Amino acid sequence: MVALLTKINPQLLRILALLLVFLTVLLFFSLVVPNYLNGRLFNRISSSVAIMALIATGQTLVIITRNIDLSIGSIVGFVAFATGSIVTNNPDLGPVALVTYAMLLGAGFGAINGVIVAYLKVPSIIVTLATMALFRSVLVEYSNAKSITTSNLPDWLISFPNTVLWHFGNMQFRAAFVVAIVIVIVVHICLSRLRVARKLYVVGSNPEAAEMVGINSKLVVFVAFILAGSLAGLAGFLFLARFGTITVVAGLGLELKSVAASVVGGVNIFGGSGTVIGALIGAMLVDLIDMSLVRWQFVSEFWREAVLGILILLSVTADAVLMRKLTAIRQKRKGVSE
Amino acid sequence: MQKPILELIKITKIFGQTKALSNMSLALYPGEVHAIVGENGAGKSTMIKIMTGIYQPTEGQIRVDGNVRTISNSQIAREAGVAAIYQEPMVFPDLNVAENIFISATNDGAWLNPKRQRQKANALIEHIGMALDVDQIASGLTLAEQQAVEIARALSQDVRVLIMDEPTASLSEHEATQLRQIAINLAKEGVAVVYISHRLEEIFEIADRVTVIRDGEHISTKLIKDVTSNSMISEMVGREVDNFFAKAPTTKTDEILLKVSNLSLDGVFEDINFDLHKGEILCFSGLIGARRTDVALSLFGVASHSSGSVIYNGQEVKFGSPREAMDAKIAYVSEDRRKFGLAMPMSIQSNMSLATLKNFLNRFGLLKVDEERKMATNFKQKLNIKTENVELEVGMLSGGNQQKVMLAKWLNMKPNLLIFDEPTRGVDVGAKVEVHNLIREFAAAGGAVLVISSDLPEVLSLGDRILVMREGKQMGILSNEDSNQEKIMALATGQNIQKEAS
Amino acid sequence: MKSLKLLGLASALLMSSVSFGAADTITLESGKDINMVLLPKFLGILVFDQANDGAQEAHKELKNPGELLFVGPTPENSVAGQIEIMTTSATQGQGAVMLSNNAGDQIVPSAKAAQAAGTKIVTWDSPIPSGEGEDVFVAQVDFGSIGTVMADMAHSLLDGSGQMAVLSATPDASNQNAWIAAMKEALKGDKYAKIELVDVVYGNDQAEVSYNRALALVDKYPDLGVIMSPTTVGIQAAAKAMQDEGLCDQVKVSGLGLPAEMLSYTLNGCAPEFTLWDFRDLGYLTYYTAYGVASGQLKGEIGETFTAGRMGDYTIEEDPGRPGSKRILMGPFTIYNKDNVEAAAK
Repeated sequence: MVALLTKINPQLLRILALLLVFLTVLLFFSLVVPNYLNGRLFNRISSSVAIMALIATGQTLVIITRNIDLSIGSIVGFVAFATGSIVTNNPDLGPVALVTYAMLLGAGFGAINGVIVAYLKVPSIIVTLATMALFRSVLVEYSNAKSITTSNLPDWLISFPNTVLWHFGNMQFRAAFVVAIVIVIVVHICLSRLRVARKLYVVGSNPEAAEMVGINSKLVVFVAFILAGSLAGLAGFLFLARFGTITVVAGLGLELKSVAASVVGGVNIFGGSGTVIGALIGAMLVDLIDMSLVRWQFVSEFWREAVLGILILLSVTADAVLMRKLTAIRQKRKGVSE
Repeated sequence: MQKPILELIKITKIFGQTKALSNMSLALYPGEVHAIVGENGAGKSTMIKIMTGIYQPTEGQIRVDGNVRTISNSQIAREAGVAAIYQEPMVFPDLNVAENIFISATNDGAWLNPKRQRQKANALIEHIGMALDVDQIASGLTLAEQQAVEIARALSQDVRVLIMDEPTASLSEHEATQLRQIAINLAKEGVAVVYISHRLEEIFEIADRVTVIRDGEHISTKLIKDVTSNSMISEMVGREVDNFFAKAPTTKTDEILLKVSNLSLDGVFEDINFDLHKGEILCFSGLIGARRTDVALSLFGVASHSSGSVIYNGQEVKFGSPREAMDAKIAYVSEDRRKFGLAMPMSIQSNMSLATLKNFLNRFGLLKVDEERKMATNFKQKLNIKTENVELEVGMLSGGNQQKVMLAKWLNMKPNLLIFDEPTRGVDVGAKVEVHNLIREFAAAGGAVLVISSDLPEVLSLGDRILVMREGKQMGILSNEDSNQEKIMALATGQNIQKEAS
Repeated sequence: MKSLKLLGLASALLMSSVSFGAADTITLESGKDINMVLLPKFLGILVFDQANDGAQEAHKELKNPGELLFVGPTPENSVAGQIEIMTTSATQGQGAVMLSNNAGDQIVPSAKAAQAAGTKIVTWDSPIPSGEGEDVFVAQVDFGSIGTVMADMAHSLLDGSGQMAVLSATPDASNQNAWIAAMKEALKGDKYAKIELVDVVYGNDQAEVSYNRALALVDKYPDLGVIMSPTTVGIQAAAKAMQDEGLCDQVKVSGLGLPAEMLSYTLNGCAPEFTLWDFRDLGYLTYYTAYGVASGQLKGEIGETFTAGRMGDYTIEEDPGRPGSKRILMGPFTIYNKDNVEAAAK
């Protein structure tokens, strides 16, 4: 075990530490909640995390560049509504057209954020705080107080997220979850192996130095926002398919949840480091705690938010301590072996 | 003679009202180490930034291999073979060494190959004669190692002009020697090395030609054999000077302020012994890694000693925190102005009052801004701080002036003992002399000073006595009269031990 | 004997006061020039737009030459936005603000300031909990009777016995809490002795949260038979969750829902029965009330009766849920099932 530690890279170490915390939380709840560990739990978490996984992935891309996207929830809501209304009016539109539409629309919103942040140099927290309200207001105007309802959506769309692709016993691998996982893995591979992706980390790690080594950091930030927007767009599509009924409040609060998932997942809020796999586990961890708390008799409704906060804090702390310990062991071993 | 690689021809750069460069011409030949000297603010940085494509000249042209080229960004500069490394290295703290080296590589396919990248990084690091774990995250590197990473980065692409901007300012003597050797080797390989430094002695060691600039203008370009250090300094400051670093007479009194006996901190340093008299300046010399700063931090209460004794003002003390040391009127001026010393976005005056804020509060606990400004304006005049207004951000000042603000901050508490860590790192000659004079004035007024410095001429011109450390051990104390650079270096590198042993 | 006489006298007095009120039904005079603001919880929700339609209808009927504005905050800014609009309305000298309150008692200072500036505050859908800063509340239904209806729907869905849970909006939504309290009260009756209310959870009126909460309820209580959701967002999300997970045979969903949104779930048996009132009528009645109060034709006192156009006569009474406050009770509401939901959904 210890010998193994010296071989793996710090990124992997980080993910291992998180998984360990995840398992601990799982173990804890299985002791206090009856009938806890079963396929059903897996199905719950996996279906619920699919949308958040995409949003947190987008958020992570932006945070790595030392920025933040608070408008991401509004983008999800808007895209879900707009996609729903397109398909309501044109029921023959196929999946490819709809997904493309959703992602392009999201990318468009991302581009608005990106231009203002990267080229007009307004701090992203201010820009996206404003666009969060702006996109939502545009949605209110656009929706004309109508809701998208399940009954107007084509059947393939509604049944898509819950289509079981394959299963082990009670554990079902559903389409939405599989799509989300595939995307997270693809983004992860790109981030760690693609040469241009390294620029995201460079810009977030040391913006001045990035310019000095000839990196167009404005373009990098701009692209990060566009990517986050299009991932939010895809999330909006899944949101529509999963919940069917879309009103103007759709996706409200997702921006903070995605930031929480990223940070719990070890993404440095000051930019420069973090992985989307981490963000995915972070999203799963937050979801797991949230969902399990509802089932834990001991905690009443009014304390749930507070306990949720405390447990998230505990997990982050445990993760940080664990990470330090593992790194120390790793370095000691490395020192000895050399 | 060969043709120049890079030429600046009558370059002028204007920022708003100020002319940073005027009619500047310079030619860089392959295989030469070309030193550029000038005081801070003379225009060296602007010149570098024009060569590396970060600034565009207002007038004039740049030629590469005799052809006029527009270098509109650093990517184009790179393609033309121009790279620069800086005093404060441009590394990416979250990436590892290998990733840092190949950060701007674009000619190697879309996908990264960590294994090959690691091998190539190892080869480059070896080429420049360093030993580094290329998987290490850059935030843990020392300044010298970060610089090595930057050089390796420059070498990773075809580099024809390598600009080194005060590369040795923060390095120990040993590391600096190593770095100069790298510069010489690169020149031998046909690279034009531009070397910018305030340490005149190293310019004599490595440069083939020297260009002096002053106030944005070209003053002279000469072969190194045609200049002396005094001629260079007078061209830099624009007046005749002599004995820049002459030792001033001591102001040492008989009264002992600090007596340190057998001071040790487990695993860090051991058996440090010295007295410090009022009015005396004691210099700590040694290579980086000699743990001089650790001794100082221990005296200042950051990490208390584990054995031995400190007698201060006639009483045995053991400070548990900097606050206690400050209450006992000990001041510590840190080596790292950015990290520990100054709050860069805050004003000059608020920085000056930071350590003694309670003296500037009225009875309701509110800040007496007028008094603060009066104090700051006083210091501005006394220390000759070059700023229009003490309400400006500290970050806007030059290094030397920042150092003076730091000094003012601590002088404010009227300390008995002033610990000054690398007082003139990255500070130009003129300001250096001013800082030295301020330290001497403080001693002459009865204060005791402990200076930690890696700059040997500085140690020799300031220190009444010089304590040399090596790897946490005290190697000896020399009096100023019987010390010279060779003796200090011999102690610092442990050569005399080897002699005794052999 | 003497006491009997007194009783008779008292009842005579009582009767005369009732008949006095009835005899004095006020018919509102049209054509008064009053600017009014209809302020929903936030914009972009169907039911609030329906309420606006009703108010506009009344506006035309009463030939008010003034303006009727439909303004509201955006969803993410509901509380602060409502307070701001309230304050602006007062400075603009609006005759009346018709408020569906989403700001709890935080709205009180601005509402009081508006009243001091001469603006009448008529609440609808969701009142100001303390009743301060409010002239009168137009209640869609009697909060007590909605409790009984929900208990009855649960009773019929459970066939008289079993477990039920509530999926509400937010822990501090005053109308929701009042309805849940009324339902708990109703459940104490003998008829419901075998029905157990096991939990109350909150979905923040967001589809995604409500959906997950509904599933958590099913996981937590394996024997759960009914999820009662007195919010249009919650009931729809819960029904979708049960349908997605194939749980409709086991757990029925009920509560307050919009026919258009609930149609498919009612027909496929996931939500066989639910209820709602007409928001268009609510807007219409609210407008009549506000117009009457703002034009001075109604004093806003208990016992006043007036004619609200096509909807008939209404009387101002004390609000049983908020002693000291006044309300006008609209009622009734419709229970929807597979027989009538299709017609209503159109």
